[in-house]
Amino acid sequence: MLQLLVGQTLNGVIVGTLYGIIALGVTLTFGITGIVNFALGEFMMIGAYVTWYLFDVAGLPYPVAIWPAIAVAAGCGFAADQLLFRFTRNNLINGLLVSIGLISIIEAAALLLWTTTPKDMGYVLSGAVALGGVSVPKMKLVVFALLAAVIFLTYAALSRTWIGRAAYAFSQNPEAAMLMGVRTEVLQSTVVVYSTALAGFGGALYATLYSLEPSMGGLYILKGVEAAILGGIGSLIGSLAGGIILGVTEAVGSIYLPSAFRDAYGLIFVVAILLYQPAGLFGTER
Amino acid sequence: MLLEVVELTKRFGGLTALANVSLSIAAGEIVGIFGPNGSGKTTLINLIAGILAPSAGRILWKTSEIQGRSPHAIAAAGVVKTFQNPQLFLELSIYDNVAIASHLRLQRRFGLSRITELLPWRDCSRQAEVVNAIHRVVALCRLDDVRDRSAASLSYGQEKMLGVAMAMMCEPELLLLDEPASGLGEDEIRTLEEVLRDLRDSGTTLCVIDHKVDFLARIADRAIALQQGSVIAEGVPAKVLRHPRVVEAYLGRQHARA
Amino acid sequence: MKALLWVPFLVFPALIQSNFILSIFIFSFILAIAAVSFNLIFGFTGQLSMFHAAAFGIAAYVTSLTTSFFHVSFWVALFPAIGFTILISLIIGSICFNFQLRAFYFAVVTLAFSELARLVILNWNSVTNGTLGLMVLDKPSVWVPGAGLIKIDGVFGWYFFSLAALIFTVAVCSLVLGSWIGRCFAAIRLNEDLAQTLGIDTFRYKLLSFTLANTLAAIAGSLYAFYTGYIEPNYLSINQSLDIISMVLLGGRSSVLGPIAGAFVLTGLPHMIDLSGEARAILYGLVLILTILILPQGLIGTLASWRRAA
Repeated sequence: MLQLLVGQTLNGVIVGTLYGIIALGVTLTFGITGIVNFALGEFMMIGAYVTWYLFDVAGLPYPVAIWPAIAVAAGCGFAADQLLFRFTRNNLINGLLVSIGLISIIEAAALLLWTTTPKDMGYVLSGAVALGGVSVPKMKLVVFALLAAVIFLTYAALSRTWIGRAAYAFSQNPEAAMLMGVRTEVLQSTVVVYSTALAGFGGALYATLYSLEPSMGGLYILKGVEAAILGGIGSLIGSLAGGIILGVTEAVGSIYLPSAFRDAYGLIFVVAILLYQPAGLFGTER
Repeated sequence: MLLEVVELTKRFGGLTALANVSLSIAAGEIVGIFGPNGSGKTTLINLIAGILAPSAGRILWKTSEIQGRSPHAIAAAGVVKTFQNPQLFLELSIYDNVAIASHLRLQRRFGLSRITELLPWRDCSRQAEVVNAIHRVVALCRLDDVRDRSAASLSYGQEKMLGVAMAMMCEPELLLLDEPASGLGEDEIRTLEEVLRDLRDSGTTLCVIDHKVDFLARIADRAIALQQGSVIAEGVPAKVLRHPRVVEAYLGRQHARA
Repeated sequence: MKALLWVPFLVFPALIQSNFILSIFIFSFILAIAAVSFNLIFGFTGQLSMFHAAAFGIAAYVTSLTTSFFHVSFWVALFPAIGFTILISLIIGSICFNFQLRAFYFAVVTLAFSELARLVILNWNSVTNGTLGLMVLDKPSVWVPGAGLIKIDGVFGWYFFSLAALIFTVAVCSLVLGSWIGRCFAAIRLNEDLAQTLGIDTFRYKLLSFTLANTLAAIAGSLYAFYTGYIEPNYLSINQSLDIISMVLLGGRSSVLGPIAGAFVLTGLPHMIDLSGEARAILYGLVLILTILILPQGLIGTLASWRRAA
């Protein structure tokens, strides 16, 4: 029983970092552009499918394959920003609805290209490691490490570099930032593109662990939003923490309670958090 | 005694915005509360109006406790506030803005029988009495010539007047004005003083919060000075303004400006 | 007067004999009920509720299950459906509005409850038959003077039945919105803080708007179930909520009738143009995006402002 608990917890942590990278994108986008980009899940899907194609079909080595995948996801993100999100800055409802329209388009395109047949990518790294009495696949550890690293690097970059401080200043007081010479349009577009690149990266890693379906985006954005709310919208480390908490809650919850309701645990948790601690666990109310 | 504030305290995390403030307002008077920025004036008004709940202390309106009750209940009880930054229904005309503010008035007149208003051929709001009230209030606030214009097209001074008009439409017994003179030019301030005196003459008790000391001195019967969340002086405006602690609190500021 | 707008609909079946087209109209009428009622809480009160499809679907299930388990008529079965909808609306609304959830968070929490409801229905196989759905074999009956009790079966009967329901919905919404209640909704939408200080109990009116919207959606859901003869958990899916939102946005959210136009376009077009499922989804996404960016007032709203400008 203990083994099951440990195993599920570890699973939950790893899935949680995937939630976390999406949550990071959600938090960044909301802080700088004032909207929630519900289509982030679709960019994750794009990253996943392009990686699969390049690795499985085109035969490129995995570390080579992920870069074009991220680039494609980011490129689509740039297009979406210029054509759509540029016109919905700080308009939460419009941004939400526009991103939902985008989801329909991207998901339909994916269905046309790849159909609903799940795609399973070949092994990138095989073998497992014993951890806490449980056997954990090496690839899962790599995924965890990479995602956590990227989130921490993002956090470090934002707190130490000039662009990071500009972004923070902008999220606190857009007018003042503008007056101080921060090129706000460039900043906002950069953040949108970066968050889609993050999602694409997450998708590339997702592809090594799970099978791909065009509908995966919808599931992950919901989790990403839940994790972002849990951790507190506005907190970068909170996205990772929120993601892990959500992942573990779902995984462990499925042991003791019907697993069909797996998705519900996260929802209930989030509702409870929103009611009692609207700023999330780490967040500052925006 | 219409309103009594007893040992009112408000803390925001580590910051104490208001510390054991006690004051009272009698019916028919104009009370001016002033103090530099950060003295707790707006916090005090928000506590009375129900937008904030106190950390400690009581607020008594006609001897019943109202602290912590919701803003709409306090408005229904007769205490209405205006906003420092004018809050309006921007998409609507001035007339419609004031018409929405007739909610409480209609509730008092018609109560539950308003359900009949749902019948297509009955609409209480068009009844002569309410329409007259709207016109009266609009005229009182010197807004009749712009009555049908959109609220978004008003000047700052007119916006503030509209805020007062809407508050008046609620038939308040006590009107709390949050910095009504800030941002207004000299002429507009004179007009504001006329309007406030007209209001008091028609039976409304006023509590005006501002940091423009000369404006307060002209209009208030009684003045209360706040500094850093505490009352430092109280009495006739002329005397309060010469009070040593008040001079000290303001002189510092005057020197900084000079 | 506006009542004249309905006349073409009344005579339409006499002119068009095609069952196919009349069927599209029936679906449009029923979904228009869902859209018009959604506009109460969204367009007029300014709250983005993601619970609408859940109200639609839950009522569909309750009405259908009541008729089949207890062998009562459609009308009797409507009572528990509407009663249950009112109850959960009051509970969920109280939770959301009591905690002063604004905009985005309100959408998320209503979405959470909607998904929870869908998961319950999806997994409660013994009662709802899960993902396989349920057949609804009963049909409502109406007493018509002169002809006695008639079963609403067949396109002709359903056309007038659903049209009557739509007219009823529009009448209810118009009456409510034209009263002081509608003014309170507008006040909440435009400036909720100000509304509070003017004595409007925003909690009560938001709750009223939410409950009324969901109740009318419940009627739509029940009609939909009995017309199509089949219900499934997808009635409560997010996609269903999004469809309804799109209808309102496309038709125009500042009028009572606007969403009806949106319902007709989004229900009719996919049937008129023979498209694959994917192409339809792309079109739907494009419509949503273009409406937001180019026609923010929707079709009817834009027309209305042209008329005013002219």
